[in-house]
Amino acid sequence: MAELTLRAVRKSYGTVDIIHGVDLDIADGEFVVFVGPSGCGKSTLLRMIAGLEDITSGEISIGGRVVNDVEAAERGIAMVFQTYALYPHMTVRENLSFGLRMNGNPRADTDRRVARAAEILRIDALMDRRPKALSGGQRQRVAIGRAIVREPEVFLFDEPLSNLDAELRVQMRVEISRLHSELGTTMIYVTHDQTEAMTLADRIVVLRAGRVEQVGRPLELYGNPTNQFVAGFIGSPRMNFLAAETIGTIGGGTRFRLVNQGGAVIVLPLDRPPAPGEAAVIGIRPEHVAPAGAGDCDLPLTLDVAEHLGSTSYLYANTQAGEPVVVQAAASDGARAGERIAVSIPAAQALAFDAQGERLR
Amino acid sequence: MRRRNITAYGFLAPYLLIFAAFWVWPIIYSFWLSFLFTRRQPWTFNPNTTWGRLVEDPAFWNALKNTLVILVVQVPIMIALATVLAVLLNSTLLRARGLMRFAFFAPVVVGEVAYAAVFRLIFSEDLGFVNKALAAIGLPEVAWFSSPTAAMALIIMAVTWRWAGYNAIIILSGLQSIPDDVYEAATLDRVSPVRQFFFITLPLLKPVILFCVVLSVIGTMQLFAEPFLITNEGGPGSATETLGLFLYLQGFRVLNFGYASAVAYTIAALAVLISLLNMWAGRERA
Ligand SMILES: Nc1ncnc2c1ncn2[C@@H]1O[C@H](COP(=O)(O)OP(=O)(O)OP(=O)(O)O)[C@@H](O)[C@H]1O
Ligand SMILES: [Mg+2]
Repeated sequence: MAELTLRAVRKSYGTVDIIHGVDLDIADGEFVVFVGPSGCGKSTLLRMIAGLEDITSGEISIGGRVVNDVEAAERGIAMVFQTYALYPHMTVRENLSFGLRMNGNPRADTDRRVARAAEILRIDALMDRRPKALSGGQRQRVAIGRAIVREPEVFLFDEPLSNLDAELRVQMRVEISRLHSELGTTMIYVTHDQTEAMTLADRIVVLRAGRVEQVGRPLELYGNPTNQFVAGFIGSPRMNFLAAETIGTIGGGTRFRLVNQGGAVIVLPLDRPPAPGEAAVIGIRPEHVAPAGAGDCDLPLTLDVAEHLGSTSYLYANTQAGEPVVVQAAASDGARAGERIAVSIPAAQALAFDAQGERLR
Repeated sequence: MRRRNITAYGFLAPYLLIFAAFWVWPIIYSFWLSFLFTRRQPWTFNPNTTWGRLVEDPAFWNALKNTLVILVVQVPIMIALATVLAVLLNSTLLRARGLMRFAFFAPVVVGEVAYAAVFRLIFSEDLGFVNKALAAIGLPEVAWFSSPTAAMALIIMAVTWRWAGYNAIIILSGLQSIPDDVYEAATLDRVSPVRQFFFITLPLLKPVILFCVVLSVIGTMQLFAEPFLITNEGGPGSATETLGLFLYLQGFRVLNFGYASAVAYTIAALAVLISLLNMWAGRERA
């Protein structure tokens, strides 16, 4: 059993605080993805779990055992590095077996584990090559293989796919997913690619500047973000944010005026409406913007750029005051730059945030 | 294209002329000299007095033996020491790293005469610091300049002192090219730091160490300043006479240019041969 718990984990370098108290419970066998912008502390957090970095305060436990003072080597974890970190002078076979050989693991067992890892990752044919003679994707497989043979209780991945090209990335993503269902081991995976996060994770941890912004299942984060940061981070293209002002309430709804839209008004059902006059932000995903008349708040827009991808089109448009709005439309062929288009926001899909970016509910 | 080539060679010409006059020509000329009897004017073609003499001259064999002894003892000790120094210099625990690096490199910059004088002083048999220190801890004093073995040890220590830091700096650059995450991966693979050194660091340093060995072999084959300045022209007797010193004595004391040229070519050939052997022994196996 390898559930993992972080309690008020902090990290400072000198006087600079990098991680500001992270609490997290990860269940045995769960696939958790840490996602967040560059420099938010994802790698630092992962390396603290691995024991490669000291924690300044707080408590980390793996499988019920507090590991604050346990050496990295004794934590029962394996890590796959962004740079692969293969041993350059060893063949693939030697790379895979090195740790086991150094620890006096019986020869037959080592061979068995190496053969199994090679089979899982389909690298049998490469076993006698040096890392230098491998492609990026093959190296990454070897790096994962090296983690597999250790039969760890927890796998840590630090942006394992960021050095690969787009196509290979998709392919490896599928393989990692398959690996998780095959091994059933707890995995923590760091990425700043929200697509990877959405497709791989049982649960996503969104980090910003050393703080956890939200933890939840992928669709939960997508549909019910707790703040503007998470709403903007999850989903591609990102959610549109329109500046608004609270006008008052009507029936069970709160009325917002879209300030950059010549006073268009949208009514959202909120339990705790903000005071009239307060600034707010209305969020709507590009895929939820409806054709004119089909929503609850019509917006006339000027088209800036249209991207036609075949199955779908992305229209990059501006409001009257030049506020950008992205619209995902069913394959529309006609739209040209400079054209005026009309769309509509369905109130049921729109989210409201206060001036600090917190979700209004 | 052609005009540009001519311009380029025009700029290179002064250097090429000097290189030809003071390098290429002497090298060719000395090869010719090595077949001449040069003790009497006019010089005559007589390889028996040069190459022929070489094989049966006990003084040459003595110098060759001394040189090889120094080579076999000094180079491995120095390279091992340099590797240890490099690892220490690379350690995150070390304070004032910049200063340390300079300190280890400094002996190379010190003039040969000055450094030889200091070694003579501190190893001086009745006044020297080393013998006083030995006496202070109850050990017998050593006749550094009158015992053949001790004099040899002195030369080896001096050369090691002078060049270990230099090699350490080269090895350090090799160490720094090994990425940290390889060690982190090894740590997670439960490989102890000592084993990391032997199974990761050393194999990855092999090309750099080989480079240092080859440089040191070439340097030691030409060893001259230390026996000339520290042990009084290869003393006691000719116990520390090296090939380089033997060449100098033949060429510029006895003025036997033909014989000295033959010795010079022998030194160069041996240096090449030993270096090739090293490279062959340390070659990258596929
Ligand atoms: N040794 C260090 N000393 C001081 N600050 C550091 C050190 N290592 C990392 N940091 C800082 O800690 C913060 C988090 O770094 P970290 O590498 O964890 O980010 P990350 O989320 O992994 O980013 P990326 O997506 O770019 O990999 C950064 O602001 C970084 O500058
Ligand atoms: Mg990182």
